[in-house]
Amino acid sequence: MKMKFEKYFRPATLDEALKLVQEYGADCKIVAGGTDVVIRLRSQMLKVQTIVDISAIPELKEVKVTEDKAVIGAALDLMTLSKLPELKNSQWAIIAECAGHVSSTQVRNRATMGGNNVNASPSADTTPGLLISDAVVNVIGPDGARDIAINEFFTGPGKTVLKQGEIVVSFTLPAQDDRCEAAYKKFSIRGDTDIAIVNVGVRLGLNEDGTVKKARVALGGVAPTSMRAVAVEEYLVGKTITEDVIEEAATIARDSIKPISDQRASAEYRKEMVYVYVKHMIREAVAKIG
Amino acid sequence: MSILDRSIVVSFEVNGKPVELITAPNRTLVEVLREDLGLTGVKQGCDDSNCGVCTVIMDGKAVKSCCVLIGQAEGTKITTIEGLEGENGLHPIQQAFIDHFAIQCGYCTPGMILSAKALLDENPNATEEDIREALHGNICRCTGYKKIVEAIEAARDEINAQA
Repeated sequence: MKMKFEKYFRPATLDEALKLVQEYGADCKIVAGGTDVVIRLRSQMLKVQTIVDISAIPELKEVKVTEDKAVIGAALDLMTLSKLPELKNSQWAIIAECAGHVSSTQVRNRATMGGNNVNASPSADTTPGLLISDAVVNVIGPDGARDIAINEFFTGPGKTVLKQGEIVVSFTLPAQDDRCEAAYKKFSIRGDTDIAIVNVGVRLGLNEDGTVKKARVALGGVAPTSMRAVAVEEYLVGKTITEDVIEEAATIARDSIKPISDQRASAEYRKEMVYVYVKHMIREAVAKIG
Repeated sequence: MSILDRSIVVSFEVNGKPVELITAPNRTLVEVLREDLGLTGVKQGCDDSNCGVCTVIMDGKAVKSCCVLIGQAEGTKITTIEGLEGENGLHPIQQAFIDHFAIQCGYCTPGMILSAKALLDENPNATEEDIREALHGNICRCTGYKKIVEAIEAARDEINAQA
């Protein structure tokens, strides 16, 4: 099918882009990499008259990694992000790792962090990494800039709290503690090119005595949005990680979700895979801490 | 709105030659390459960003041209399969695909070769694992990938021996 839109704009600055999305309102869609939006334009799931392409705005592609935070531009391609040495060697390496699991080489060469999250797929690969890193979504809109905690960003499949005329500029990742590491794994039939049936991200921070200081557990593909498994996190804090504790944490994760059955997997299977992968990811995070 | 009102001007480079065209914006790069520029070596398969037959190299990176809006080609350098053959004949990857019988129906071949070229340009010592990872977005529905991977490994060695 042909795409139906009539107007295409490629602003060079964020100010220009903001004016355009305000001017065209609900009849406009922002595109960056296009790996999702173009397909939905063609299938006519998306019916807008105007496209605002933000992929030529340099400030949306910046990455700044310092001691106390990292800021990832929303329109940087995921391939560059997944290979960025200053990110891979940082306390936010999990962000690069998750970016590297998004689909194929060709898609990662175009797709962006902004798109992968604004898209609000419950099985997005980059979202668990952001959730377990307490990321903040930096947004700019007609009423100025605002920051949204990533765990308050999604409201349903394809839906976020973004308002009309708002553009995601970047993601801020706050400093993590010492002795804090993260792990991510997706389960899919055909590797990374395939959509995750479930995915699991775990971040653990340990005290000097080995007890858990901070725990973050994110699950994808099991709810209308990627989600934090708060019950598991609360259970883990204060515990010393033993096989019994890992078993209990995985059981809580399995029992706290109500996934759907669809063409990819049954609800029971998803629950079982979450149980298995939560165990794997806790072990992997602990192993990384050493 | 008339067609002229909504047209955009796009300038880019295809296989070393400058291209400037006036086009409706609601078209993808694969459509323009095939329909306007006659580069039918770029195949159109799923048109859904899954199969990889529309792969071209854009500013050194393999991309699926079915999900690149034509406006997004502005200022880029694009290589299609038509641009690989040099003065001395076929590109070593093309020749290796023939020599290793890495082709059955041939429909996926241009995309496979371009993904392989983008990989070897970036990483001349790509391992079998690197090759399989780089080709993950290119699907062959005739048979499999063994001969294709062998061909790319042979091309890699040939290119490195020439260098």
